[in-house]
Amino acid sequence: MLSFINIKTVARYEAKTLRRSWFYRLFSIGAILIFTIINIGMFSPIGSENWEAVAISSLLPQFNLYLLNIAQSVVVIFLASDFLKRDKKVDTNEVLYTRSMSNFEYIIGKTWGILRLFLTLNLIILAIGLIINIISRSMTVDFKSYVYFLLIITIPTLIFSLGLSFTLMSLIKNQAVTFLILLGYAAANIFYIYFRAGLVFDYMAFGLPVFRSGMIGFENLSFIVNQRLIYLFAGLFLVMSTILLFKRLPQSRFHRILTISGFFVFLAGTIICTINTYSFYRKDLADKSRVLKVNRDFEDKKFPSITDASIEYLQKGESLEAKVELKILNDNSEPLSQYFFSLNPDLRDTRITSDGKDLKFKRTYHIIEIEPVKSLNTGESDKLEFEYTGKINEAFCYPNYKDDITENPYRVSLINIKKRQAFLTKNYVLLTPECHWYPTAGLNFYPSNPAQLKIDFTNYLLKVKTENNLVAVSQGRMQRENGYFIYKPDFPLTGLTIAIGNYQSDNLKVANTEFITYHFPGDDYYKKDLAALKDTLPILVSGLLKDLESNFSTKYPFGTLSLLEVPVQFYSFPKESTQTRAEIQPSMVLLPERLATINQAGFYKQFSQQKKRMKRGGQVITDKDLQVRIFNNFMRSTFISGENFRFNNGVAVNEPTRYLLGPSFYFFKNNFYSSEYPVINSVFEVHLQKVNNPGMSGMQAMSGNLSDNDVANLILRNQSFKEILANRPGGDTLSTILTIKGDGLFNFIRSKAGIDEFKDWFVKYIDDHKFKRVDIKEFNNDIREKYGFEFYPYLYDWYNVKEQPGFLFNNLLATQIVVGNRSRYQVTFTAVNPESTGGLFNVAFRTGAMGGRGGARGGGGGGGFSFGGSGGGFGGGGGGIGGAGGGAGMAGRFSSQGRGMEALDVSRIVYLGPNQTKRIGIVLDAVPRSMMINTLFSKNVPGQITLPIDNIIKPKDPEKEFSGEEILTGYSPVADTSEIIVDNEDMGFTIGRQNTANRLKRLLGIQNKNANIYQQISMMKIPSIWQPIVQSVYFGKYIRSALYTKGGTGDKTVIWKSYIREPGYYDIFCYIGKSVDRMMVTGGGGFGGPGGPGGQGGVGGGGRQGGTRQGGGTRQGGDAGITGGMLGEAEGNQMRGSREQGAPYKEFHFHVSYDGGSEDIAFDYVSAEGGWNKLGTYYLKSDTAKVSLTNLSGGRIVIADAIKWVKQK
Amino acid sequence: MKIEIRDLNQTYPNGNQALKNVNLDIDNGMFGLLGPNGAGKSTLMKILVTLMKPTSGIVLVNGMDIQKHRKELRGMLGYLPQDFRFFAALKTWEFLDYTGSLAGLKNRKERMKEVDRLLDQVGLLEARDRQANRLSGGMKRRLGIAQALIGNPKIIIVDEPTTGLDPDERIKFRNVLSQLSQQDVIIILSTHIVGDISSTCQSMALLNRGDLVYNGSPENLVKHAEGHVFKLNLTPAEYEIAKEKFNVISTIPVDSGWEVQIVSDEAPEYSFTSIIPNIEHAYVYFMEHKLQTSLID
Repeated sequence: MLSFINIKTVARYEAKTLRRSWFYRLFSIGAILIFTIINIGMFSPIGSENWEAVAISSLLPQFNLYLLNIAQSVVVIFLASDFLKRDKKVDTNEVLYTRSMSNFEYIIGKTWGILRLFLTLNLIILAIGLIINIISRSMTVDFKSYVYFLLIITIPTLIFSLGLSFTLMSLIKNQAVTFLILLGYAAANIFYIYFRAGLVFDYMAFGLPVFRSGMIGFENLSFIVNQRLIYLFAGLFLVMSTILLFKRLPQSRFHRILTISGFFVFLAGTIICTINTYSFYRKDLADKSRVLKVNRDFEDKKFPSITDASIEYLQKGESLEAKVELKILNDNSEPLSQYFFSLNPDLRDTRITSDGKDLKFKRTYHIIEIEPVKSLNTGESDKLEFEYTGKINEAFCYPNYKDDITENPYRVSLINIKKRQAFLTKNYVLLTPECHWYPTAGLNFYPSNPAQLKIDFTNYLLKVKTENNLVAVSQGRMQRENGYFIYKPDFPLTGLTIAIGNYQSDNLKVANTEFITYHFPGDDYYKKDLAALKDTLPILVSGLLKDLESNFSTKYPFGTLSLLEVPVQFYSFPKESTQTRAEIQPSMVLLPERLATINQAGFYKQFSQQKKRMKRGGQVITDKDLQVRIFNNFMRSTFISGENFRFNNGVAVNEPTRYLLGPSFYFFKNNFYSSEYPVINSVFEVHLQKVNNPGMSGMQAMSGNLSDNDVANLILRNQSFKEILANRPGGDTLSTILTIKGDGLFNFIRSKAGIDEFKDWFVKYIDDHKFKRVDIKEFNNDIREKYGFEFYPYLYDWYNVKEQPGFLFNNLLATQIVVGNRSRYQVTFTAVNPESTGGLFNVAFRTGAMGGRGGARGGGGGGGFSFGGSGGGFGGGGGGIGGAGGGAGMAGRFSSQGRGMEALDVSRIVYLGPNQTKRIGIVLDAVPRSMMINTLFSKNVPGQITLPIDNIIKPKDPEKEFSGEEILTGYSPVADTSEIIVDNEDMGFTIGRQNTANRLKRLLGIQNKNANIYQQISMMKIPSIWQPIVQSVYFGKYIRSALYTKGGTGDKTVIWKSYIREPGYYDIFCYIGKSVDRMMVTGGGGFGGPGGPGGQGGVGGGGRQGGTRQGGGTRQGGDAGITGGMLGEAEGNQMRGSREQGAPYKEFHFHVSYDGGSEDIAFDYVSAEGGWNKLGTYYLKSDTAKVSLTNLSGGRIVIADAIKWVKQK
Repeated sequence: MKIEIRDLNQTYPNGNQALKNVNLDIDNGMFGLLGPNGAGKSTLMKILVTLMKPTSGIVLVNGMDIQKHRKELRGMLGYLPQDFRFFAALKTWEFLDYTGSLAGLKNRKERMKEVDRLLDQVGLLEARDRQANRLSGGMKRRLGIAQALIGNPKIIIVDEPTTGLDPDERIKFRNVLSQLSQQDVIIILSTHIVGDISSTCQSMALLNRGDLVYNGSPENLVKHAEGHVFKLNLTPAEYEIAKEKFNVISTIPVDSGWEVQIVSDEAPEYSFTSIIPNIEHAYVYFMEHKLQTSLID
């Protein structure tokens, strides 16, 4: 028999021994202290109470145990191996070994002793968390989660770690080697293997998504249980192995049999659970692969369009049963002899009828091929009835994503969340059109052309019968009839979503739109937090809606907007075919439960913090006003213009939030299609919705990312649009390409039609064609009819040709002129396209009304600027009540230049033919400060060029107004032939060996993969190689680039060489790409001050604080401020130069070779002017001239750009 | 109680034969085990306490094979190894509590009573709450003795139990064992301190290079040395010669030089006095002269 007393005794004293070890004491005291601080800092009212952390109550215990688990997984290795080390010194334990207890009892006792000790620590940490949880206003206490996460996260990890440590120590018998192996495994788990093979190897649940939703609990319980059981069983199996390997003569046959049985049972359990866990992953991959294969087979088939759909949905536990009546239309140009539909592959037992007669059909996974009674001619309609039942296969939804958690991480406060696309349980259902829960006339993904998408505008009628008195939710207004929930949306939709759950709802009618919120009980915390807004809400919402409508120059097209609370786990992947994510559905937004992933949704905390801050600053604001500000900020950043910044694999990514309402104004309303150019709708969408490519945030700029525009142009250097699409680029690449191509196409049309003229006409056009599919040829005809030109022929080159134009600009002059009796400003410049293909660029200006010049850190109120592309005119800044913020008014983004429905920011769009030169004149009302050129699709990198206008000429004699374009013939922009320039892009420029600093990397031959990729200069992460960078201040023909590296000892060199034909004295210059860009200089200082609360200012205004957190301005403004601020600050640092230790720039060391010798030149970067700087005059023979630059510098950065030799006359 | 050892052999993987066909019967009472280093004492004891499995042979305790009935044997065993250490983090009473619990004292109250009794018996009651790393060598030894005695073991095997104890403690310890040996208990005492055996053991065995070379009473062993132990008074020069020639047992400086005790088969050429041998003399005589094993380098 088993002696529990023996086990208990051994455990008690093992625990006692370990508890008294310094190592454990230090760890446990440290853990208690750290976790107390973390809990107070993150979750308590005196801490940050970051909404992401406190919104879902289960996160607190999970977060605590998650972090503790990682630490204790390592610590337990030391303690467990120490225990065996003691046992190895036999004499220590001989007196115990000669006692009457079995090896089983002894090892189990030891294991339990250590386990008990760590469990106690876990319980103490949880108790700390629980106290904080109880006193928190924002959280409820979820007691079950405390138990669940202990069972899921802690226990399997501990048992496995113990078992593995014991076994390895028993086998290897060397503590140091065992440590290395175990620590190596722990490190490998965290850094390398946790995400591989479907998380099979993740013993410490480092990446395992075990998030517990407040709405539905664990949504992937079977997977979680299997994965954790792997390590529970493996741990027990290893403990059994330890017993068998234990160097003590056994005393109990029964216990030995028990051990051997346990060994095999737990080994079998481990294997079974591993297979199960892996099979989830394999099945998912196999299903996705099958979907792709089937899609490939059917992607060329002609599908009908569904004009009407009546769906009867019956909830059946964890399945569904549906009857669907479809009315289809053949809008193809040829008859349909077969009907093709797509239905989720796990929905089976299909029956299809037409007029009550069964139709023959064939099912190929998710594709249904129906043999109709007769062919359906073009323009004809038919009716079909489908009956089916089954479950939902989620792998179907996004077959092109493998859901690698490292590539597409979805985390809430470090906790990985399982990305779910559908829920079908007895208590909760959520099905979006992406899972094809009803027959859909089109594929969800076109493998050969991922940008392709089939859109139908369908009149839906949905009848739902639920179980357990649950509430069904869909688009439109809810009606109840005969136990059914009935939804009949007012307008045709691109897809229908259904949710069933314990939903409650609230309605708000504003003008013609009804806003309906669906939430779970208790999740409407915002009513309490924003109680003062109760009466004002319609006005606020109305104001925001108007903002949106004016932003998109069109009305909100639906009668309702449903805000549906869904589990946090619901996640849509980006699609190549559209920028619209599944969180946004026509007339419906799927918001995470308790708005958990939206930081601005922590209303109460924001309120109390801002209130305190204002009180400290002596500012007075009513509670209601403050709540208005918080609400507006939330609404704008969530639904209008918000962005999410995150690092993905070390790369700064700034993506739009998933809830922007932009698609309601184009994607759900309009559709332009083309059989020849299937990508056209995506191109229109990207351009018109402006949701894509929000440009670089400050953090992106700091981390050295290139703008998407430049990335796209660099990609398009070698491939045509068509070729790129054929190569199936990833989502990010595709979206950047779509953006630039969309900008190019619309700028072309606008350049022909006129910016304002086209805007007015096009706004009306898309309203007239809402909820209709428009063939692009039809659109071309309408353009021709209206403006007398066709853009369709242009599409061929746009799609097929890879040659890019290139633009050179010079002779920029600004002159004050008088037109009528008004003083105006005429800007003229020359633009050259020496390339063999034509192209477009657009021009915008930053005019007066500049923001206050930022100080070294902070400064004046934001002035804003008025060119911000989209919908322009948000300008004006949230200098704010405090006036302390701002300072970054000038530093807005301009990547949106010319994008959007209106493109109001653009002053002129210029087309330059091949080898063409034009003089361009533009007349402005306000004083131009700088001219911004966006070269769109071109060889120019960066494509956004800012040319400062330092001097306004005031001629004595009045000048004639010149507004327009003049083709210049015989004009050559080529530089003086007595000059020899070698740029870093030229053949004469060479780079020494690109050593990586790390010896190990060198040994392993690991090259820096960024060495050949253009980046932006990063002040945060200065590379140890010569890194190519682009910025408009650098020298270059098209690519304004330089190289920079970390200041060092002189071991890295770059060399400029050129052949000198004529001997003589030459002045030698180096080009210093110092910012002469006024925007960059004067716009700096955006870090400034504490930041005032900001006004109700617009997009452009506000400093970091004013725009983002306190001001009425949106995050865009704030980020713009940050961008400008950081760049400005970098420049500011540059100016301060050597006055500060660790200054980014100090002296550069050039080495000039001349006839008869060479000379080292310490060039003072700080005092140098931007542009060409003379290094000296030297006599050069007719030979190869050489100048080199090393990384030797007292500064942090050395930059290499261009060298010029000028022969003295 | 009776222990029967039959044809016991132990050969280590390196080929060293530690025990060679040892046959031995041990009855109730104190049993002494003598032998030089490497004689196989420790191996024999490890086999007896089930820490080691013999290569061949059998050990029966009350007729039961200890390899087949380890549980039962361990339940009646008290063992003090030669190099006794215990966990530094535990207090003295805790360690006794630990071993007491494993020795079958399930009732906590009784166990604590027994712990205190034994601590008192070995003179450690005052150090009850002291941790191991704060105990002196002697105190540790006494704690070891206490843990070997806890739980009323029927077989007590002690390896060099009195090493590190002062004479007073040693006497106390002998008395404790003597008292215990009056009960139905076997006490096996392996020691280098021959005096411990003479004063406590009713029977003894002598091991040499794995062989059992003597098995009997201490008195019988002493008889082997009768007439072979001499006391000499030597000048320093004579002493230098004598120590090369004889087994010198003891050397005491006196005014004229040295008073020396020797063991020899024949009477020495110097003037001498025959003395009555004790077990120490007998051990030396037996080993050096009967077995021709050099004990003294």
